[in-house]
Amino acid sequence: MNETDLLILDAAERLLSDICTTEAAVRYEQGQVPEDLANAILDSGLPLAWVPEEFGGVGGSLALGFELIRKAASFALPLPLAETLVANLLLAVSGLTVPGRWTALGYDGGELPVAVRGEVNGTIEMASGAHEASVIVVPVLEKGHLRVASFAPSTIDMEHRRNLAGEVRTRIILRSAIPSQLSGRIENLTEDGLRQFCALLRAVQIVGALDRVGELTLDYVAERKQFGRALGKFQAVQNRVADIVGETALAGAAVQQAVRTVSNAERPLRGDRSTAIAIASAKFVAGEAAQKVPENAHQAHGAMGFSYEYPLQHFTRRVWSWREEFGSEFYWSEYIGELIQDEVQSGHGDSVLGKAWDLATR
Amino acid sequence: MSGIRFNFPAPELDQSIYDLRSEVRTFLREEICNDRFTPVTDCWCAGVDLDFSRKLGQKGWLGVTWPKQYGGRELSALHRYVITEELLAVGAPVHAHWIADRQSGPLILSSGTEDMKRNILPRIAAGECFFALGLSEPEAGSDLASVKTRARKVDGGWEITGTKLWSSGAQHCQYMTVLARTSDPLEGKRHEGLTQFLVPLDSQGVAISGIRDMSGLMHFNESHFDSVFVPDDSVLGKVGEGWKQITSELALERSGPERFLSTFIVVEHALVRAASDLDARQAAIVGGIIARVRALRAMSLGVAALLESGKSPDVEAALVKDLGTRFEQDVVERLRAFRPILWKSGNGDVLDDLMTDSLLRQPSFTLRGGTNEVLKGIVARGIGLR
Repeated sequence: MNETDLLILDAAERLLSDICTTEAAVRYEQGQVPEDLANAILDSGLPLAWVPEEFGGVGGSLALGFELIRKAASFALPLPLAETLVANLLLAVSGLTVPGRWTALGYDGGELPVAVRGEVNGTIEMASGAHEASVIVVPVLEKGHLRVASFAPSTIDMEHRRNLAGEVRTRIILRSAIPSQLSGRIENLTEDGLRQFCALLRAVQIVGALDRVGELTLDYVAERKQFGRALGKFQAVQNRVADIVGETALAGAAVQQAVRTVSNAERPLRGDRSTAIAIASAKFVAGEAAQKVPENAHQAHGAMGFSYEYPLQHFTRRVWSWREEFGSEFYWSEYIGELIQDEVQSGHGDSVLGKAWDLATR
Repeated sequence: MSGIRFNFPAPELDQSIYDLRSEVRTFLREEICNDRFTPVTDCWCAGVDLDFSRKLGQKGWLGVTWPKQYGGRELSALHRYVITEELLAVGAPVHAHWIADRQSGPLILSSGTEDMKRNILPRIAAGECFFALGLSEPEAGSDLASVKTRARKVDGGWEITGTKLWSSGAQHCQYMTVLARTSDPLEGKRHEGLTQFLVPLDSQGVAISGIRDMSGLMHFNESHFDSVFVPDDSVLGKVGEGWKQITSELALERSGPERFLSTFIVVEHALVRAASDLDARQAAIVGGIIARVRALRAMSLGVAALLESGKSPDVEAALVKDLGTRFEQDVVERLRAFRPILWKSGNGDVLDDLMTDSLLRQPSFTLRGGTNEVLKGIVARGIGLR
């Protein structure tokens, strides 16, 4: 990341710590969009971080955007910043107009809607960001090729639900729907690449939320006294905190590595094997951490962490949602295993011995 | 938010590192194809092959970071990292030279005399001179500062008396670095008054006897020192500052690839049997192993990069070892989905033997070089809980 990126991150951090409290998350879950926060973020231009400057965006690096996403997750930002970043990126790479408002990601890793002669049919079970968005961005297939469609929310059937973190997820049913914009074929975008990119997004969010889980736990065990001393003085508690730090660091390292791989890729949305394995690993390790870290954090917090009032649970519920979205640990570990099997089967007598190491170091 | 968020930067890998990796890989493939060594699990502690060590010396792959005048090649720590991880990944028998190359050589470089550097380092780099660690004792394990071995000042040198335990490979080593007390511990300053000595194992008064571990392997030793005389210039560094030396080496020792790859060779052989026909459960297991090993490697390389840039990532290194050693234990358990572990080792089936040996050796992974409880303590201190 360059000097400008660091300045942007710094400004984002200040903005979030000033106005993104967990109260905003509570209000959001009760159905009120936190307008002040929403306007401040839109005004800051952060949702345009991945949009090139010639389209009115910031033209920031992928690394910058992912770092913003991690930061936002560490504040439990109750707005679809991550989704808007991706949706805007999709609009930009397909040459469509990028709005200055929230943009929804009409994609959940499942089957893509199909476009035929300008009409789109299909169902998206878990679109994200659709509640606030002025535009719904939907990747669609036409004759086996990807295109990007955008819809005005008023023109399509939407059913809002909430994931277990209280974030809005929307079923969108497209029946001969006519998009307001439909791009041409996009050569540098594949379904695999898109799924992987979104999986990385959730992995990055998990790590961001876990950053905060660790902070909260560390603060809590330093302050809370039992048996005449701070909880953090007990070795049993220290070991739990060390495990929190360790699993978060491990997931952080995997995510950092995947972000680097995607950043260095010539076509980051095409989904080649080296980005695939890096992202699969990151989502897997983050997904595992999403179990282990909250387990230790809640145990260290006692009943307090279990109460709705205390902030911990916002982060817990988020990582428990995000680990499932765009492929769980079960999905991505099997994916890597199948990748190995696939390479072995097509290896033409290439030695199997060394295959695991080859994938570990690729 | 900063205190507990760790950064694991990418190391700078130039072309020479890629070239070195493929050179090492090609060499190892040839050795394996020609059956020149049998893959060993936990190879850096259990695989002894003096010829193989010498061969690596001839290749110029030992002591690579040291100055040329002492037999080194003045390459970076990352070059060494690549060599060692390639060796570990195939279960190559690297135990004989491991400690000398990783630890004792660098210790001599930083704290040894010019004579030691000239006489010993080139022999280590040639794969002909091996070292054992003389740290633990019957009464001193995790609490290393309580060592009882004494070094008494005598005319022209020191006289060492005591017993060292668990020193791996001492039976084929020429030297041991021995941590001994050179002055009585003062109240509240028990880490002072400890000194490291270079002791030739053929010195008069040294007696070494093997200890069999639960896997049946005889690599541990009990080493007795009965008034062993060493000359003044055998002191490594300054008298009384042995503790500082030992702890300053730990980040390097704790974050290397040997802390998560000890059982990786078993994954390879399980795949050799099953890869063309993995069921979904097996695919998920092996996929999960690959994912974790990639994450651990990113962490470990991140620590290497931090060390290269002059930082001292002690907490990060402790995290690598805590997570990595538990992972390499876990690998054995997970691979049981490929094959049950039923038989005593030595039946001639490579996979069976690797699985059995791994299972029987894995209790040591989370003990050696600092138990995981000690490591978690380092983390707790690093984040301000202690």
